Amino acid sequence: MRRLFPVLVRRARALPWLVAVLAVLALFGGAATASAEPAAQSPVAGKTYVIGTDTTFAPFEFQDGSGNQTGIDMDLIRAIAQKQGFTVEIKSLGFDAALQALQSNQVSGVIAGMSITDERRNIFDFSDPYFDSGVQMAVAKGNTDVTGYEQLRGKTVAVKRGSEGETFADSIKGKYGFTVKPLDQSATMYADVKAGNSVAVFDDYPVLAYGISQNNGLKTVTDKEQGSSYGFAVNKGQNPELLAAFNTGLAELKSSGEYQQILDKYLKDPTAATQSGFFGLLTDSFPALMKGLGLTLLATLLSLLVALVLGIVFGFFKVSENVVLRGIATTYVSIFRGTPLLVQAFFFYFGLPQMTGVPMDVLTAGVLTLSLNAGAYMTEIVRGGIQSVDPGQLEASRSLGLSYVTSMRRVVVPQAVKIMTPSFINQFVITLKDTSLLAVIGFAELTYQGQQIYASNFRTGETLLIVAALYFIVITLLTQLSNVLDRKFNK
Amino acid sequence: MSHPAEQATDPTSAKITVRGLKKSFGSNEVLKGLDVDVAEGEVVCVIGPSGSGKSTFLRCLNKLEDISAGSVVVDGYDLTDPHVDLNAVRQHIGMVFQHFNLFPHMSVLQNIMLAPVELKKQTKDQARSSAMTLLRRVGLEEKADARPASLSGGQKQRVAIARSLAMNPDIMLFDEATSALDPEMVGEVLQVIKDLAREGMTMVVVTHEMGFAREVSDRVLFMADGLLCEQGTPEQIFGNPQQPRLQDFLAKVL
Repeated sequence: MRRLFPVLVRRARALPWLVAVLAVLALFGGAATASAEPAAQSPVAGKTYVIGTDTTFAPFEFQDGSGNQTGIDMDLIRAIAQKQGFTVEIKSLGFDAALQALQSNQVSGVIAGMSITDERRNIFDFSDPYFDSGVQMAVAKGNTDVTGYEQLRGKTVAVKRGSEGETFADSIKGKYGFTVKPLDQSATMYADVKAGNSVAVFDDYPVLAYGISQNNGLKTVTDKEQGSSYGFAVNKGQNPELLAAFNTGLAELKSSGEYQQILDKYLKDPTAATQSGFFGLLTDSFPALMKGLGLTLLATLLSLLVALVLGIVFGFFKVSENVVLRGIATTYVSIFRGTPLLVQAFFFYFGLPQMTGVPMDVLTAGVLTLSLNAGAYMTEIVRGGIQSVDPGQLEASRSLGLSYVTSMRRVVVPQAVKIMTPSFINQFVITLKDTSLLAVIGFAELTYQGQQIYASNFRTGETLLIVAALYFIVITLLTQLSNVLDRKFNK
Repeated sequence: MSHPAEQATDPTSAKITVRGLKKSFGSNEVLKGLDVDVAEGEVVCVIGPSGSGKSTFLRCLNKLEDISAGSVVVDGYDLTDPHVDLNAVRQHIGMVFQHFNLFPHMSVLQNIMLAPVELKKQTKDQARSSAMTLLRRVGLEEKADARPASLSGGQKQRVAIARSLAMNPDIMLFDEATSALDPEMVGEVLQVIKDLAREGMTMVVVTHEMGFAREVSDRVLFMADGLLCEQGTPEQIFGNPQQPRLQDFLAKVL
């Protein structure tokens, strides 16, 4: 009841004639509802929360065969949401990206097999621990040399960046004399060990156990270390009602036995993976990859359209006689050609929302990054195209009494377009390939989908071959099409 | 043909009046102070060694080059005055370039029709029929739909002349119009220019064709080192040159 009143008062202020009616309704109707249906009282009821998670932390979160996000964390948060009457929208961003998204309020909470540490407590509020983990070491299946930490001297060990495994590895690397190599995903770490780049991997024991059951080609060689606990996190001071709901829901799941059922489903006897052949992999992964390809093409198309406009505007600035316009264009080009695309993507998705407080969805941030980046290159293409038209053409047109604008429009630009077309096609291909970099901010394009697939089946090589082949086919087809159009219209 | 000797000294009747014209490219002074008058209907040929500033001088007459100092008055409009509508003045001055500068993405007819249609001087139909008349005049009626790339050098230059006449100018500037042509094509272009001269067009012609200059000019200007070195009738310039520079130049080219 106490929570209902501020809402009513606010409404009453806006529409004074409702005061009496609403007050009565609140006193009688509100009280009646509260006693009849306890869930309706919960401040989270009926709300939708965006929850960030890792892409690839099986068995806590990973994609099942049909492309749905599943795992212990996913089952837990969904079960709790159902119990508490709220809805969750899962965003699998990757671990680092999820934490950054939480800090910039792009998501309301993060559940990603995240250990509760003092460091993280400074910036996040954690729920009650929902899982007690611990770090374990694994090596390649055929490796008989490394049986303990003693054999690691002079070798390299893979860990997940920012994870408990990294902290543990760092704490003993001096004693045992090995090098720590932080990587982004479990699948990448395992592939690194199998490829022989690292000799061992330090990862959370449930993750290792699940991976081994899925034929990831590793084996554990040590006992699990005394580990930390996993918690659900919200941004410090934000969404306290969500945190409270999580704790209540977790306690309910534990007492009802559902909690143990969820853990057993993934840890006790996970369904052993059946290795399908290459074509099995192809058919299984095809729907997810096609979805990714669609987003890749969408992002490419939108980015190129915006980049074209930017390129034309700034390209004309660059050939203008006005020093200020030339300066603006030169500055723009220098900034976007002089910084890495990846840094730009991080800045637009994480940095800018944090600075302005306005969250930006991943498609907008991705398209913004790619179009500003490609726009800089387009500017140079447009400038180069215009400047490569014989100056005598502009002179002849001006000598007839045509204005600068008319001369550009009728005489210079049509010839420049012809010269620029091959460069445009080239930029188109580059931008299409650059969309793969948006995987790091969790944009679900083709590369991202590929990562998701090998994160759960550990068939890194084959999956990447399929992804690369898809890029190759699409780029080849589109390049051919562009060339045909070029020949047709630029005779 | 008019008799310009007296008219040229009277600025009020001059079509073009140039006073103290200077032009520099960076620190390189190409024109060092020119005073020239061109009377209505007068044909003036400009001769001189390479690098003497002939072309730059010509290009100042429709302000394709910015003027560093001095003044150029055409039809009473001072081109150095920022309030003068250059585009309007240029419509009265046709220009023909050494390298033709035809628009390669347009047909011959479209090249000629572009300015009249864009500047709304004529409807498309009117522009087409006057373009055909111009093409007939330069003997290239059958090339109306051809692309410039398919024409010979001489044909290109004749189309360029037709294009520059499309706005019905009263002054024509020729910038070494035959220098880029194969020798056998020079004649056909010179013939078109001669016809124009005969019809009373005011013309300034930069040329290396001494025979042509002698034949069509009312007056010949000899330029050297950015200055007007000597001027006079063709008979005076070619028959009785005064300055050693001119004598030296003629000895080399004739």
